[in-house]
Amino acid sequence: MEKYFDIDYIWTALPNLLPYLKVTFLVAGLAVLFGTLLGLLLAFAKMGKSKLLRALANGYTTVMRCTPSIVLLFLVYYGIPFVADSLFRINLQDIHTGVFVVVTFSLQFAAMMSEVIRSAIQAINHGQYEAAVSVGLTPFQAYRRIIFPQAFVVALPNFGNGLISILQEGALAYTIGFIDIVGKANLIIASNFNTHALEIYIALAVIYWVVSITIEKVFEKLEKIFSKGSRSLKAS
Amino acid sequence: MDSSLNIPFLIDTFWVALSGVPTALLVTVVAMLIAVPVAFFFALTRINNIPVISQIAKIYVSFVRGTPIIIQIFVLYSFIPIFLNSIFTKYNIDYPIYDIHPLWYAFIIFSFNTTAVLIEVFRSALGTVDRGQLEAAHSVGLTTKQAYIRIIIPQALVSALPNICTATVNLIKATSLGYAISLQEITLRAKVEANLGYNYLEAYIDIFIVYLIVCIAVEQLFKWWEKRLSRYKMASA
Repeated sequence: MEKYFDIDYIWTALPNLLPYLKVTFLVAGLAVLFGTLLGLLLAFAKMGKSKLLRALANGYTTVMRCTPSIVLLFLVYYGIPFVADSLFRINLQDIHTGVFVVVTFSLQFAAMMSEVIRSAIQAINHGQYEAAVSVGLTPFQAYRRIIFPQAFVVALPNFGNGLISILQEGALAYTIGFIDIVGKANLIIASNFNTHALEIYIALAVIYWVVSITIEKVFEKLEKIFSKGSRSLKAS
Repeated sequence: MDSSLNIPFLIDTFWVALSGVPTALLVTVVAMLIAVPVAFFFALTRINNIPVISQIAKIYVSFVRGTPIIIQIFVLYSFIPIFLNSIFTKYNIDYPIYDIHPLWYAFIIFSFNTTAVLIEVFRSALGTVDRGQLEAAHSVGLTTKQAYIRIIIPQALVSALPNICTATVNLIKATSLGYAISLQEITLRAKVEANLGYNYLEAYIDIFIVYLIVCIAVEQLFKWWEKRLSRYKMASA
């Protein structure tokens, strides 16, 4: 009888899977880039004076928080081509699935980041902004030179958690036929006639685990490096 | 592609998606009922630094936080039958493992995941209660168990509640991955409906609305509960 569980499959799967980690990182990286930009806009909308913008930004965050990633992914995957087709008569049938994946996770990351950025900026005493403006800085300068550098340190741990969770949510991209590390794992299993799935999935789990722990450690280090300045301020 | 939405289908499928809500909530409630006591036990071992168990709990939490839920589902869904099979053949139990209802897998998988999340939630919540409170309770003659039930847990619960709410909402959202174990919940039911006429966009709009309603309702419920629980704070203020 053939063995149900053969640990050799884990070792042979790892070198086949690891190259596809690049794809996973690329998607997460782009989602983080676009998501942070959109998140910044949302955070300012939430703190701004306009009631309408505030309600819209808060509503957006609530809706995103309540939508499972997989549902959002398919809404984007089917919805964007539909809207493009029916409103602008643009055919998006041939567009790469990676684009939908990046759009989905950017939207999701933006909702996460808007809360992270808002709470980080609000953690900085408003008096600092007033002091900066009173010595002649423009509001933009005050934000760039005084508020952001401090808010950045406050936001760092939450940003790291957001990065890990977007990397993990990205695992669902295979459902729309995107070949990242999970997609590749499923291809390997299919080529084994659906046997030894457990070993391949364990290899996948180990890769994700190692990546998550590494990111966690890097952010712990970063936090230590960047909070050095604030510690000396407290001491004085 | 059709350039208009199939509205009758949209309305019909909404009710199909809604019919999956009891399954999603059942899995959520059962997973929570299993996870809460187990997670509380592990959180206590973490706080009191019980050797071995504390380390195991740490690795377990790190694994669950470090891997995507879908991968956990994949691993457990292929591990459990192999594990059961080896046990059943060893003890000559004749039971059709491949006929086990997906609900049972869902209970196991989602409580496995939620337990790890709640360990961290409980650990940080218990950490917010001053250790002196336990000592004070001891000094007036309460046993440790009484002190926890009457003094510590009511206070820790207040600070844990927002995180428990997040965990619950995340759990409800995670049940959308039940399709991977062919669990008949919200997403799968609506998707099957859409398979006939390729009305996927309509189906996903329905699914989206259903999750929105369920999650907002759960959030409101927790907000109301939190208000009730933190009454003592208002009274002292």
